[in-house]
Amino acid sequence: MDQFYVIGIFLLILLLLLGSGVWVGLALLGCAYIGIELFTSRPTGDAMMTVLWRASSSWSLTALPLFIWMGEILYRTRLSEDMFKGLAPWMSRLPGGLLHTNTVGCTIFAAVSGSSAATCSTVGRMAIPELRSRNYPEHLVLGTLAGAATLGLLIPPSLILIVYGVTMNESITKLFVAGVIPGLVLALLFMVYTAIASKLDKNWNPRPEPSIPFLEKLRASRALLPVVVLIVFVIGSMYFGIATATEAAAIGVLGALILAAVQGSLNWHTFVDSLMGATRTSAMIALILAGAAFLTLAMGFTGLPRQLAAWIGSLGLSKMELLMALMVFYIVIGMFLDGISSVVLTMAVIEPVIRQAGIDPIWFGIFVVITVEMAQITPPVGFNLFVLQGMTGRSLLYLAKVSSPMFLIMVLMVLLMIAVPELATWLPGRVR
Amino acid sequence: EQWDMPLAYPASNFHSENAAEFAVCVKDKTGGKLTIVTHPNGSLFAGNDIKRAVQTGQAQIGERVTSAHENENPIFGIEAIPFLASSFDASDKLWNTALDKMKQVLDSQNLVYVYSVPWPASGFYTKKAINTVDDLKGIKFRAYNAATARIAELAGMIPMQIEAAELSQALATGVVDSFMTSSTTGVDTKAWEQVSHFYDVQAWLPRNTVFVNKRAWNGLDDSTRAAITECGDIMQKTGLEKVKGLAAKYIQTLKDNGMTVEPPSPELEAGLAKFGEVMTEEWLKKAGPDGKAIIDAYKAAN
Amino acid sequence: MTALLCKLRKPLDTLYLLAGVISAIFLVAILVIITMQIAARALSINFPGSSDYAGYMMAAASFMAFAYTLNRGGHVRVSLLLGLFGERRYLVDTVCHLIATIFSCLLAWHASTMVYWSWMLGDVSQGQDATPLWIVQMPVAVGSIILAICFIDNFVSMLLRRQDNIVADIVE
Ligand code: NA
Ligand code: NA
Repeated sequence: MDQFYVIGIFLLILLLLLGSGVWVGLALLGCAYIGIELFTSRPTGDAMMTVLWRASSSWSLTALPLFIWMGEILYRTRLSEDMFKGLAPWMSRLPGGLLHTNTVGCTIFAAVSGSSAATCSTVGRMAIPELRSRNYPEHLVLGTLAGAATLGLLIPPSLILIVYGVTMNESITKLFVAGVIPGLVLALLFMVYTAIASKLDKNWNPRPEPSIPFLEKLRASRALLPVVVLIVFVIGSMYFGIATATEAAAIGVLGALILAAVQGSLNWHTFVDSLMGATRTSAMIALILAGAAFLTLAMGFTGLPRQLAAWIGSLGLSKMELLMALMVFYIVIGMFLDGISSVVLTMAVIEPVIRQAGIDPIWFGIFVVITVEMAQITPPVGFNLFVLQGMTGRSLLYLAKVSSPMFLIMVLMVLLMIAVPELATWLPGRVR
Repeated sequence: EQWDMPLAYPASNFHSENAAEFAVCVKDKTGGKLTIVTHPNGSLFAGNDIKRAVQTGQAQIGERVTSAHENENPIFGIEAIPFLASSFDASDKLWNTALDKMKQVLDSQNLVYVYSVPWPASGFYTKKAINTVDDLKGIKFRAYNAATARIAELAGMIPMQIEAAELSQALATGVVDSFMTSSTTGVDTKAWEQVSHFYDVQAWLPRNTVFVNKRAWNGLDDSTRAAITECGDIMQKTGLEKVKGLAAKYIQTLKDNGMTVEPPSPELEAGLAKFGEVMTEEWLKKAGPDGKAIIDAYKAAN
Repeated sequence: MTALLCKLRKPLDTLYLLAGVISAIFLVAILVIITMQIAARALSINFPGSSDYAGYMMAAASFMAFAYTLNRGGHVRVSLLLGLFGERRYLVDTVCHLIATIFSCLLAWHASTMVYWSWMLGDVSQGQDATPLWIVQMPVAVGSIILAICFIDNFVSMLLRRQDNIVADIVE
């Protein structure tokens, strides 16, 4: 009873602050501050700064602004326009047309970056202006982008899989390998949805791409080359041991700068614009991450997520019921916490429960990551929604609404994983 | 009263299990007057922040690898001097010799010492056989702190700065070929997926120390304080026995997974001992007369 | 009061922009440090503490840009309730600015206290860099103070002009 009272107060404060329009990062921060003042006798300000400093000065976080900067460079130097010129002749015949560039772009970029926000920002910077100029319906452009960008977490490298692996003492290599097939299947589901949605949409009227013969198509594809080289370069630097997953972001920025310079579209103006744009976007995300980290501490002091998880563990559910309960559980806490926090806060309690139920921990890691992917597009705290709001000025609720079909597809993906566990277990079983 | 106890390692780690047992012990002995809630896996404060958090009262009690704070005071790094105290017994002796000074330093930082349990000793994980220190030359070695960077320098290895989270990927892609850590961490990170050899050179035995905020401590009545001290003493003893058993078990796990696990050859051991002497001298320069008194007393007792 | 605000407008805007530019320089510094780290490894040279430095730059780049990002409409908010109030929107918006002003002042105060204590206690980093923490934490405090100034500025502006200084910059 006592706990429900605490939950109630927390949610009320948070929703009140967020709903009334207080900036998201400060709302999270303020909610945590009030919560700790109310429910503990700890020195709130000191605790806040301990957590804020740790969360903001983290080495692995540096990949985020760098990838965002890379996206800004691609967008401002017309490298992205070229990429669309190259892709258009091939994709325009598919049902859904160039809208598929969202999913394809995010899938490819997910193999470069370990975060969903960076994927969303980079691909969005390139795709949104191009798709809008071709008159693709806004709700599909933003919805599929918000959803597909979450693949950044599932397709390796993935920050959250590293955290999960360290927490559970499971092989990070195996977890990375396990994410590949579910990631591709999920991407395929997004594309199927895109195709169907394009047929059902009443206002579907994108500017038709000129129909050109095969050889012309090949010639147009040369425009793809710079960005393909860049991506191969970044992925290659990771797999040949030149750079770690975090450092690969720096390779991405350098590569983009060099390409733009070679192409002749880099000047002082575009350089400064891209840099200041990246500074703003990453500052926006950093403020929210700082607030989220502090809210996580407040939750940790109250012990709420742990008690909820322990409560689920104590229900004596069957395996299927347990998985359904956990899916709902992670969706609910994912509305308010960021993915890594929800894993860190709950795994101590969830780990014995799932091991006892005989659930494969590698498979469960992929299960958790898909639920965390959902959390990126659920309001009120959804990072992809924030990135898109910052980029387009659209309201959070509009963005949540247009990406809700992608949320349902991810629920479907979880059910598919339960029906066919081999999706996540077959490939890692083939690795030594 | 309820205390929060932040811990850096996952709940299944034996240090975290010890802390959980300690919490149960305190609850029993005080008849529920003091309950300690453990927060494993850095879920409350990250490892780096735990000491400062307890110092400033953000948490009342916590656990931290002592040597991580060597930059603040060389005494914290005493058990991490490479190749100085290379067994559980030696490490315990060294620790007990230094304990009074350690308590004094902790006290000056607003902390009260409770108990301390070592990790299994650190050894070399490599991708090839190492018979003498010369075999180490040119190997790409993960240097994650000042001591490992110095070892790399002395052995002519190439130091590579890699964060813990990126270690397995760095090994898989050949960014590094070798690293030093305990058998526990080797098992936890499934080292056999990446490296083939483990040399149990017993370089050092890092310790996790549990401490209480002084103000929180002073706010307790005598019987509660006595209960904490008593439980701490029990944990220190049972923890040491447990880790001795675990060390053997972890080494067996490394073997079972196909790794070549060997003690160092006499040549390798002699070479490493030389590095140890150099690094002990260097530590003494930092630690001054207090440090010298401890090392002298420790050596005299052997 | 309005006259004073007019007089202060230019210096304040310059302050935010300057902080934004400093933040951008920190971002470039992250790129340089990480590139040097990759190069050092390729050349088998040790670059002790490189990832720690990159982390400090990260914190500095974030906090120094908060105010600049705010006035360029970069920080996101949920505007559901604001929309419902129609004509009276500015009332809710003013309350919002007040709440944000309070929180950002709290942040500025505690960030400054953090730096003060790191300096008093002589805290040093636990990494190979062994940097005194007050130095690298300083941009966090300065950035937080500038953010607080920016929110106070906007709040006063709301009271006087029923309008803040935020001009959004979004994809066309
Ligand atoms: Na990824
Ligand atoms: Na969410």
